[in-house]
Amino acid sequence: MLTRKGKYGLKALVYLAQQPAGRLAFVGDIARINNIPKKFLDAILVELRNAGFVQSRKGKEGGYRLARPAEEIMVGHVVRVLDGPLAPFPCASRTRYQPCDDCDEATCQVRHMMLDVRQAIADVLDKRSLAEMRDCAAELEEPLQQQA
Amino acid sequence: MSGQRSIVIVGGGASGIILALHLLQSPSQDLRVTIVEKRPSFGRGLAYSTTLDDHLLNVSAEGMSAYADDPEHFRRWLARKGLGQPADTPYYAPRGIYGDYLEELITTLAKEEPERLRLVQGEVVSITPTASGVEVLLANGASLVARTAVLAVGHDEQPAPPARFAVRMGSAEDTPLDPSAPVLILGTGLSMIDAWLSLQAGGHQGGIIAVSRRGLLPWPHRPGRPMRLDSADIPLGTELSYFVDWFRDLVRETKQSGGDWRDVVDGLRPFNQRIWQSWPASAKRRFLNHTKAWWDIHRHRMAPEIHTRMKDALRTGRLKVLAARVLAVRQEEGSLATDIQHRQTREIETLHIARIYDCTGIARNLEDGSHTIIRSLIERGLARSDPFKLGLDVTRECAVIDADGSASGKLFAVGPLTRGTFFEIDAVPDIRLQCKALAEAFTAP
Repeated sequence: MLTRKGKYGLKALVYLAQQPAGRLAFVGDIARINNIPKKFLDAILVELRNAGFVQSRKGKEGGYRLARPAEEIMVGHVVRVLDGPLAPFPCASRTRYQPCDDCDEATCQVRHMMLDVRQAIADVLDKRSLAEMRDCAAELEEPLQQQA
Repeated sequence: MSGQRSIVIVGGGASGIILALHLLQSPSQDLRVTIVEKRPSFGRGLAYSTTLDDHLLNVSAEGMSAYADDPEHFRRWLARKGLGQPADTPYYAPRGIYGDYLEELITTLAKEEPERLRLVQGEVVSITPTASGVEVLLANGASLVARTAVLAVGHDEQPAPPARFAVRMGSAEDTPLDPSAPVLILGTGLSMIDAWLSLQAGGHQGGIIAVSRRGLLPWPHRPGRPMRLDSADIPLGTELSYFVDWFRDLVRETKQSGGDWRDVVDGLRPFNQRIWQSWPASAKRRFLNHTKAWWDIHRHRMAPEIHTRMKDALRTGRLKVLAARVLAVRQEEGSLATDIQHRQTREIETLHIARIYDCTGIARNLEDGSHTIIRSLIERGLARSDPFKLGLDVTRECAVIDADGSASGKLFAVGPLTRGTFFEIDAVPDIRLQCKALAEAFTAP
């Protein structure tokens, strides 16, 4: 399931994808603009750095930027790092599998269906890049700006 | 030629044959497939030319069917030949028999469908794109005209330049050897095991030393239960260290619940191409430099009976494996003086050797490789090496990419040549899937 952590992580990455290439963004700015608690964001960015999606620099001028072009970072890849295996239900995962205590997973029709659902989720999220997410965000914002 | 789907396949080894077999599954009557192979026989290539019964397939029979959609095909063929095996145990057939299988399939098909499939013996020396397709020129002066050409030349056959005192086993330079002579084998992977088995079978008595940087030996197969994974379970697109941590954790958990690391390695197998393709260049480079040797011995395993024999030979000292680097080789009277530096002690030792065999693996830079046609395409800017020099630069649709970075609509490649893009593409289970996809793209209505 997409947790708050996954959602915040994606918002932070889209923000970084909007910055000019190579420029470092302050954690405080990312947190404020995207309405993310800063402590939580710190922890999320460390995980994203360990997985190789962002780079950081320490110090007063320090901050974060994408480790590679936004076109090359897939949304599904980020979600797996932050939230673990893509799974609509706890039992519909093969590695982080949590059995339900009230049914037999081998014959559970619900689980069977949910394994298909998660494959469909992976197929969508693994084909969308951060760049597409950023550009789609820009399209959403345009009509609002025209009204203003 | 107009209206026809004509395809010239350069190379009649396993990749070329498997592509042709998948193409011919199409009912299309305007299909024209020509395979050009420089060896006298079709279907054998480098891997399946061996006649030694000890040279077994490293993949069990289900993985070796030539048809992606019919995994039992090879087993049924074996049964028809009186070589049937019980269905519940993995069977590692001799590689020469697999060559017989491919050869029989393709020659039978060429007889049945002479209009649609032609086998030509010869060497392709040039391929030139034309307005409507390609012109393929052979060494004997003949020329073939087609819509598309597919390169399926497979592995390089010559040792890489640093190993110039070394010879490839079975090549013309591999002249008869004194049975008591000391032999050095460069490499400690599955090719080394093949070479050692050939020496054994030829009655070689002299010492055999195998050397590689880390001295790692391949593991044996063992019956297990490959883990069922979906792509949704596997971290993609991360740096290498993140992936390796995930992998180690999964192996630990699998062992704790009574499984084996092989279950994880084999469970990942269907996703190896996707994992490789998802990685940033930095992760690929780190993997090649630091992790690949370790990965290979777990991924590329040997039949258990061969592993037992290897262990015996190591115990009795008939085979010695060293972790060392070859510094220099000098031709001295009666021997090759070979300086090696041991990895652990850093000590330098000089070995006096009668013959050095090159089994350092099959990846090498194509730009100075032994395939004339590949060198010529690169020199003319019609093709280029991939960034890691593992093979040719191709798209995920197998289209060859030229020096300027444009994908060709006429020139394609399959099999080990495409390793830079597909990585896991040396063995039949992967090659047949790749060939199926390309055949479908070519014959789509």
